[in-house]
Amino acid sequence: MEKNMKDRMNNEISLSGSPGSPGITIGKASLYRREDMAVSSGEIKDGEVGDQIGKFDKARKRSLTGLQELLEDQEDETVIELINTQIEMINDPDLCKRVETEIREHHQPADSAIHTVFGEYLDILKQNQDDLLDRSIDITDIRDRLIQFVNYHLPQAEVEQNTILVAKELSPREVIEFSEANIKGIIMGRGGQTSHAAIIARSMNIPAAVGLKNADLISDGNEVALDGNTGKVIVNPRQSTRQKYEKLIEQQLKQQAEIEAFCAEPNETSDGHSFTLRANIEFAEELDSVQKCRAEGIGLLRTESIYLQREHFGNLRMQETFYKAILEGTKPHPVTIRLFDAGGDKFFEMSQKEQNPFLGWRGVRMLLDEKELLKNQLKAILKTANCFPGRLRILVPMISTLEEVLEVKELMADARNELKEDGITVDEQPPFGVMVEVPSVALQAKTFAEHTDFLSIGTNDLTQYVLAVDRGNELISDLYDQRHPAVWKLLKQVTDAARGKNVPLSVCGELASDPVSACCLMGMGISELSMGTSALPAVKRMLRVHSLKEMQQLSRKVLESEIMDDINRIFREWTQKN
Amino acid sequence: MIKQKVTIINDAGLHARPAAALVKTAGRFKCDFYIHMYGYKVNGKSILGVMTLAAEKGAELELELDGTDEKEAAEVIVDLIESGFGEEYEGQDE
Repeated sequence: MEKNMKDRMNNEISLSGSPGSPGITIGKASLYRREDMAVSSGEIKDGEVGDQIGKFDKARKRSLTGLQELLEDQEDETVIELINTQIEMINDPDLCKRVETEIREHHQPADSAIHTVFGEYLDILKQNQDDLLDRSIDITDIRDRLIQFVNYHLPQAEVEQNTILVAKELSPREVIEFSEANIKGIIMGRGGQTSHAAIIARSMNIPAAVGLKNADLISDGNEVALDGNTGKVIVNPRQSTRQKYEKLIEQQLKQQAEIEAFCAEPNETSDGHSFTLRANIEFAEELDSVQKCRAEGIGLLRTESIYLQREHFGNLRMQETFYKAILEGTKPHPVTIRLFDAGGDKFFEMSQKEQNPFLGWRGVRMLLDEKELLKNQLKAILKTANCFPGRLRILVPMISTLEEVLEVKELMADARNELKEDGITVDEQPPFGVMVEVPSVALQAKTFAEHTDFLSIGTNDLTQYVLAVDRGNELISDLYDQRHPAVWKLLKQVTDAARGKNVPLSVCGELASDPVSACCLMGMGISELSMGTSALPAVKRMLRVHSLKEMQQLSRKVLESEIMDDINRIFREWTQKN
Repeated sequence: MIKQKVTIINDAGLHARPAAALVKTAGRFKCDFYIHMYGYKVNGKSILGVMTLAAEKGAELELELDGTDEKEAAEVIVDLIESGFGEEYEGQDE
């Protein structure tokens, strides 16, 4: 019987929750249970009122000192904000007044006065909030903290070093404090991906699984394998399971170490020529990975999402907030903002469906017909540029004629004047560039270079227009290859034109995220590339291990090629050589 | 005294961080500031009060401001709420 029990206790159990914070880890479980708050009962005497109010004040001051100390070591913005919110709660004038009233008028001791007042807040919250988004932990955490300080009873939030913390629920502050004990992971019985504890775990890179309903099946000291990517938890893993997870961890560590080491190296070819790698992004949430891969700013900030997802897209303030967040998060590097680049049908109810949307009303063509929309975006960009001198660039999509360039420039002057009339003077003159993605622009690159401050090649659309292939059409999609000889020849022409006019040129299309193609572009003379952050480390590695001379040879060969087979062979040789 | 209606537009609603931003902004003004929502009335300068409203996206608040700088305060506070507290927009985290 006893043996049976023991067997069962050692059986492998698989539990599933939600992914809270990515990463895989194995370790010993360490259970954490918050202590129940004991508060005094009974009434105090008149003479004790001052004393009890003093106790409350002291508790507030101590909590504040503790939070401020915690704040000192933090760099992560999310963490700082949450701690600041807690500070704000302790400084709440309403709270102080109400607790004092409880003590003075109802003769309650400080701890029970705090409990009563917080109870009132929590009652209202309970009635108002959606059960799925329980935010009461932010409030109970402060309550318990204050009561503990009043009673001089501070349970040390202690946990064994290097263990996996298992708790029913954690407050953000607890996650931060436990992280100082080097915990390996977090398993939480409650909460979801958007709970504050999960947000903090993510920003501190602690793997976490949350919302594990059966978390209480885990006992103190149990061995646990935790996969924060999937929310899966294995208790008492079998030998084979353990090995599987160990392998996953090894892979993960190796990859991370490699990537981090590589990204920290300077952007230089093996013979010391420098290049610039920037990121293509769309959301502020991507800034973390931008920093991790050490991209030197944003080469392409897509702005469609701000509009497509909002009904009232005239909201200038909202755009500005978004742009500012991106510039704030990428200091001191430049950010290139691309104007709205989508088909008209994404923005407006169109009575007639376009037969050929890719050759239709999109990008700048649509913007020039919807001048208010365009001017609003330009205003938001100009206002942002003013706050971040020398860091912002404007990129216009889907340009096919010079007239369009001149017209957008005129509208930019109008936007500037209108801002001035509203009392906002914008001194910044952000560089103005166009996308080279329509063959007419590539062929007239010299002319466009004369009228712009920079050019950025969008190889995705350029390829589709040069080869007349809709990549979405399965019947012909094998004809679509951005490395086609004709595309390379056109790129060469644009490069020469830009160099002749001394205008900066970059590539922000998919071609730049292919490591061998990136070498070829560099060999051709384009040293500024922008790509998705996940592609950046591999591109960087390829550029770093080769010399500029080798890359120049590569691009010469590529430019001499006539058919895709040639290109494939050259690329194969290049990768095999290394 | 000014009374003005405003709608919460950020996805996560008036949770801790926006509440802190709101209270901080309101604290810069001398006027009294109250928020009415679904029959509740809370002090707009009290973060705990604001948090207990648990105002979600789409919730309509009525702001009540009373004092010498009420006009200026109303403008700044409405702006802050209507800008979504600089928080993420719908679907942005997908």
